[in-house]
Amino acid sequence: MLQIKCPCCGPRDHDEFRYAGDASVGRPAHTDADFERWYRYVFVRENPAGAHREYWQHVMGCRQWLIVERNTVNHTILSVNFSRGTPA
Amino acid sequence: MRRLNKLGRIDRSQPIAFTFDGKTMTGFRGDSLASAMLANDVTIVGRSFKYHRPRGIYSAGPEEPNALVTIGTGGRREPNLPATTVELADGLVAESQNRWPSLKFDVQSINSWFSPFLAAGFYYKTFMGPTRRSWMFYEHFIRKAAGLGRAGQEPDPDRYEVRHLFADVAVVGAGPAGLAAALAAAEAGAKVVLVEQDFLAGGYLLSEPSAGQAGAWLAGMLARLADMPNVSLMTRTIAFGAYDGNVLGLLERHNSSSVDPRQGEARQTLGLLRAKSIVYCTGSIERPLTFANNDRPGIMLASAARTYLNRYGVLAGKRVLVAADNDSAYSAAIDLAAAGAQVTIADSRAQPGPQLLEQARRGGIAVRATSMIAKAIGGHNVRAVVLIEPRGKTTLECDLIGVSGGWSPTVHLTSHLGIKPVYREDIRAFVPGKLGAGQFVAGAVTGSFTTEAAVDDGHRAGNEAFAFCDAARSSQAQVKFDLPKINAKLGVIGDDGNSGLRPKPPLSPAFSTQTNEGVGGKMNLAKGKAFVDLQMDVTVSDIALAHQEGYQSVEHLKRYTTLGMGTDQGKTSNFYALSAMAGLRGMAIPDVGTTTFRPPFTPVAVGALAGLSHGHHYKPFRRTPMHDWHVSNDAEMLETGLWMRPWFYHASSRDVNEAYVAEMRNVREAAGLMDISTLGKIAVQGPDAAEFLDRVYVNGFAKLPVGRARYGVMLRDDGIVFDDGTTTRVGDQHFFMTTSTARAADVMSRLEFLLDTAWPDLRVSVSSVSDEWAAMSVAGPKSRDILAAAFPDLDVSNDALPHMGLLEGRYRDRPLRIIRLSFSGERAYEIYAGASVGKEAWCRLIDAGTPFGLKPYGIEALGALRVEKGHVAGPEIDGRTTLDDLGLRRMAGKSSGFVGEVLGRRQAFSDPERPRLVGLRCVEDGRRLRGGAILFRPNEPVQGHGLGRITSTTYSPTLDAWVGLGLLATSAAQEGAEFIAHYPLKGEAVRARVVSPTFLDPKGDWFHG
Amino acid sequence: MANGSEQANLGIASQDCGIVQFDGWDDAMARFEADLAPRLGGQLPTKVGDTTYQDGKLVIRIAPRRLWLLCDGPPPAIDIDPELGCMLALGEGRVRLRLSGQNIKHVLERCVVVDWDSLQEGEGVQVGFHRVPVLLLRTGPFECDLFAPRSFARSLVEWISEVEIGCRHTGP
Repeated sequence: MLQIKCPCCGPRDHDEFRYAGDASVGRPAHTDADFERWYRYVFVRENPAGAHREYWQHVMGCRQWLIVERNTVNHTILSVNFSRGTPA
Repeated sequence: MRRLNKLGRIDRSQPIAFTFDGKTMTGFRGDSLASAMLANDVTIVGRSFKYHRPRGIYSAGPEEPNALVTIGTGGRREPNLPATTVELADGLVAESQNRWPSLKFDVQSINSWFSPFLAAGFYYKTFMGPTRRSWMFYEHFIRKAAGLGRAGQEPDPDRYEVRHLFADVAVVGAGPAGLAAALAAAEAGAKVVLVEQDFLAGGYLLSEPSAGQAGAWLAGMLARLADMPNVSLMTRTIAFGAYDGNVLGLLERHNSSSVDPRQGEARQTLGLLRAKSIVYCTGSIERPLTFANNDRPGIMLASAARTYLNRYGVLAGKRVLVAADNDSAYSAAIDLAAAGAQVTIADSRAQPGPQLLEQARRGGIAVRATSMIAKAIGGHNVRAVVLIEPRGKTTLECDLIGVSGGWSPTVHLTSHLGIKPVYREDIRAFVPGKLGAGQFVAGAVTGSFTTEAAVDDGHRAGNEAFAFCDAARSSQAQVKFDLPKINAKLGVIGDDGNSGLRPKPPLSPAFSTQTNEGVGGKMNLAKGKAFVDLQMDVTVSDIALAHQEGYQSVEHLKRYTTLGMGTDQGKTSNFYALSAMAGLRGMAIPDVGTTTFRPPFTPVAVGALAGLSHGHHYKPFRRTPMHDWHVSNDAEMLETGLWMRPWFYHASSRDVNEAYVAEMRNVREAAGLMDISTLGKIAVQGPDAAEFLDRVYVNGFAKLPVGRARYGVMLRDDGIVFDDGTTTRVGDQHFFMTTSTARAADVMSRLEFLLDTAWPDLRVSVSSVSDEWAAMSVAGPKSRDILAAAFPDLDVSNDALPHMGLLEGRYRDRPLRIIRLSFSGERAYEIYAGASVGKEAWCRLIDAGTPFGLKPYGIEALGALRVEKGHVAGPEIDGRTTLDDLGLRRMAGKSSGFVGEVLGRRQAFSDPERPRLVGLRCVEDGRRLRGGAILFRPNEPVQGHGLGRITSTTYSPTLDAWVGLGLLATSAAQEGAEFIAHYPLKGEAVRARVVSPTFLDPKGDWFHG
Repeated sequence: MANGSEQANLGIASQDCGIVQFDGWDDAMARFEADLAPRLGGQLPTKVGDTTYQDGKLVIRIAPRRLWLLCDGPPPAIDIDPELGCMLALGEGRVRLRLSGQNIKHVLERCVVVDWDSLQEGEGVQVGFHRVPVLLLRTGPFECDLFAPRSFARSLVEWISEVEIGCRHTGP
């Protein structure tokens, strides 16, 4: 099991978290009507072997959405930050 | 009797009675089942997996491939336990396995005669080719013949638990290295958990003479550790897996000397140990030798023979041959000779060290150099051995053969995270690879096999582990504790200063290996099977066959021959298999590589993994505040997700189909009361709350006046409908949102996601208030009268509380909200009361409403009412439907910028073949519609996916007809068209006509006014 | 620590609990906290999980911008400037389970992933209990409060009771 070090709750088992996929894709502005940009945001994904930025929410704890940088090859967690205030 | 009246760590004053195959035997406190059986002259413990050959006790630890037994009776029956790891207890009932009718005479041992047909790949060749159909016929017999123990059929009466443990430093293995590591880390100040699979701590020290130095050192260390409050020594606990984040999976056996747990005690407890750092002191496992009939009872690892003698006071044989290619077996030989056995050593090396030879001579042991076993002779127990030496073959009588092919470090746990072990040519063994942060190794697992090195190494690793887990305190000088001295000679007899391995030449077909069949089957020193994997009955020639047939990768070798796939996972066989395949392929061992090590190291009972999470505790139940009322008023309860909800009330009928129709009628004619507390409820607050809702819903909320409710629909980013519900403006900057029951958690999380990641500039707070409110719906023409009667101080008139209006008040000093909403099509009110007084509010409505005909209704009727009204719900909002599909496009406001808007206008979503919502009415009398039925045009062939499907159905008492909602290709969905609804599960085909999905009251007159 | 005792070594009491939640806006946190602190007794807890207890008011920070005032009686009326944050009464949705007894550590380690030994008195931790989010607040050497969602509370109490039976036989 992964241990994710929540910035405000400390290290916790990953089953306390909800996973929401790739955090490296930039969400278009809500008023953006460009189809192509939304299409890329929703459907187009890299599948890197190595460092990967992911969204995880600490649902059993502080409920903050986090950006977790995880190595997909060996599961090492390189960094964990609040999504709020973290540049994309 | 092989039990001596001296030696060992058993308590001869405490005899223990047990049975093996019905025969009562006696052992002592401190025995393992294996040692007690040996002491009682049990030589045959079981029959082998495939050939049903008699097998005895081969080892003294968890690596045991042979001596698998079934322990216990009835529901407590547990098969396939190695007798070597079972602690003897009073009344223990053990049974041998895989034999019929008896151990001594097993009819299936004739399998041995047919063995040419049972070689590796037997199943593939026999049943995957043209003869594959015969598998159907033979499977039953083959499955019965091949196999292990039988599991019990009755429910297991015992409890199992899961618990969570924490440590600064976890130490795996309480041998000399582990004890030293634990003491070092503990003296430095760490909270230490020391895990030992055995019921005694000490590791290989327990196999040394107990009266000697090893015993004194061990006792001293244990006394010191016992005095330290920050050390927890867990015996009878195996670390079966290593997981990411320095988490160890532990399996604790119940800490009791009785066979079965005491009342309430857990038989096994699964521990998840979260450590800041881990020291692996997992030791090493002795390797066997291969020769013809090397599986006969009476053949065991040399170290095991020593353990049975020194730890259990059991002399396993009187005429002993020790066969070895290394120094370590000499200590076994010397101890056995000192205990009175006549011992001969067959050393495959040409020139064993002079010091070794001198020690052997002083012990009265004959040493034969350049000597190895060609064949063992004997059936139920070994009687003699044929040695092959430069002068030729020699036959020696013996009743015990102790074998030692060197030692393999126990690298399993250190490899569980995908770190491949690395090969060391100098010791011809795999050692742990470069471990992750906070993981350390010490002792024999590193490939240094002396006790002194283990202690020093453990001390170093303990300090390093402490330094890692507490970087702040590590700046202090490391505590140099007063380590009890241990004689460097202890456990070491040899010129190479190494009790274990010394360099051996690489495998070749020549005389230097103990492969009597020869690699590639070219050299047959003697006829007879030479086993590599004793548990799976894989022989040397099976490996050659796999190689010959192209299964040369070790992963293929494993799967083709089943080598290493038994319950012992090849702990004694893997290394030989790798080196044999390397020899056959002409490659170096590291180039051949190892198979993947995965948890668990030893088998873990499924019960332990489940812990208490089964039966009633399989999942936590959610109960609404009115739960007890439903139960005591004879509701049939239904699990929906985690919630317990009333399905229907027995007062309506005992039969659900009659009950829901009666409950629907009562709603339409008088009024019904429904518990809707399960709805998701979210408070949305803040200056930007209205803007936020405008973005998450397709329809607008900014202009919604305070005190009014609105139905809203949310999309996902990809334009598919996500959820629907009503949101009420309870204050200028405060909205009260409801979601569907099923989607409550997803919607909450989604709102938080948007605020945290996409729109952090919005000043909005969202909070789940699902548990704050007891919610109930009063629906029906009499609903207003009932409300007025229940809450006489509130004005519930149409002017004060119009459709989609809100009324706030207090009930029993708790908050109360009444929102006039209709899900069923009737005039209806949703009453939200503080959860702590929910049951009282419910009862008050029942009391006030009974004179008006108010009755409770369940979710079956609720679902039917909404179908009749044409409201979509879960079966229609199924993660595939769009606004257009559901006829909800008109809700989307003109202002843009809501979630899912852009992709919701994808071209594919306006495909005329795309199914959209329709109403369906059964046009055949006496027949019904079914959810899931597939729609075809009449006279068209019934094949493929049809033009659509029925999603929800109900009998409509108002229309006296079966009606349903469905999704039907837009091009075909003309009102009045007839379709055939096929329901293949029941072989039904029913005619249905497309109608408006709003089956009744299309203008909404019933709920207005 | 007691062990092997045949009598129950853990008490469970269940009671209603008033909670008032305060949320501050991201860009106004300093002013929000300065405005709120004196009305909640003086100091506000700084780290998530920390508590303050002043003027009979127990305040815990449960998220970076979220505080809970835990009260036994009726909640005090506190207005928040909408430009700084908002408040929400959460008096109904949670049950306060008061656990106390010699066996508490052994019971808890079979319920939640919490290192009891390193949890300070007055420290809280939000954690999953049988996949239900709860707030565990250590209130003494052998005491804690579990704030559990009301709908799950009975199920969790049943779990604790089941665990407690086993812990009577398990030594420290």
